Amino acid sequence: MIDLLATHFNYLAVVALLAIGLYGVTASPNLVKKIIGLNVFQVGIFLFFVTSGFVDGAAPPLLGHGSAPYASPLPHVLILTAIVVGVSLTAVALALVVRIYDAYGTLDEDAIEEVRTYD
Amino acid sequence: MTSEAIVLAAVLTFSALGAAAAILLRDVLNAIIAFAAFSFGIATVWVLLAAPDVALTEAAVGAGITTVFFLVTIAKTVRPGGERLFERIEWRSVAVVAILSGALLATVGSLPAVGAADAPVATSPVTEYYLANAYSETGVENAVTAVLAAYRGFDTFGEATVVISAGVAVLLVLRQEAYV
Repeated sequence: MIDLLATHFNYLAVVALLAIGLYGVTASPNLVKKIIGLNVFQVGIFLFFVTSGFVDGAAPPLLGHGSAPYASPLPHVLILTAIVVGVSLTAVALALVVRIYDAYGTLDEDAIEEVRTYD
Repeated sequence: MTSEAIVLAAVLTFSALGAAAAILLRDVLNAIIAFAAFSFGIATVWVLLAAPDVALTEAAVGAGITTVFFLVTIAKTVRPGGERLFERIEWRSVAVVAILSGALLATVGSLPAVGAADAPVATSPVTEYYLANAYSETGVENAVTAVLAAYRGFDTFGEATVVISAGVAVLLVLRQEAYV
């Protein structure tokens, strides 16, 4: 276990971020904090990808500036795309949150459920 | 552990603590500030993992724009406060999270060590092809830009489509006169 802590620390951090994110999505009654949880979960997956392309002592993949080994550029590209898509999703989710607040006057999941059962 | 690995582990720990604070703090404004700190920590992690392009995007988009979106949202809605600083622990969620973490932790040991030179991604023919040919085929020194704009240009086109769709969706959802 101690060996794993030294050699696989990033992957343990991935598990920690996924756990924190999932806890935020499922436990928090507040819709804004659920979206924060979603973002944390997403960063956990980004960390997994970027770590997979890293080599000890690697230079950033700027060819001709630095020497081999370079970090693999492919995970970086995939994660760049994923970050932008993640922000788009966050924006849509937050717009829906604003709409829900206008309709129900609360962002508390339990309170919204209560209003819906009386309607 | 090398000194780089220790710095990386320290920044990762800081980020994870920031994420935990963002989830556990009861006041949503506090949570957003903790989330911004978490994003900056993660941007530093990308620099340490030799991914400066991802770091720039994370700092500008993750820590910058996302934080502004969250702040605008709570300005337009409510900010539930209260006497307590932290949320109560929700034990049913803890059980679900424990199952997920247990399943994931069981797989961590079979992954290659962080930074191993013989890891599958580092030795993959795709990585080797990009690093060997990106400059001669595209004339771009930054291999990330070459892959983003040339080799996987259609991916980036799809990304732009997603951004446009999201913009249209936000405008549709928030259009005032459409409210019933």
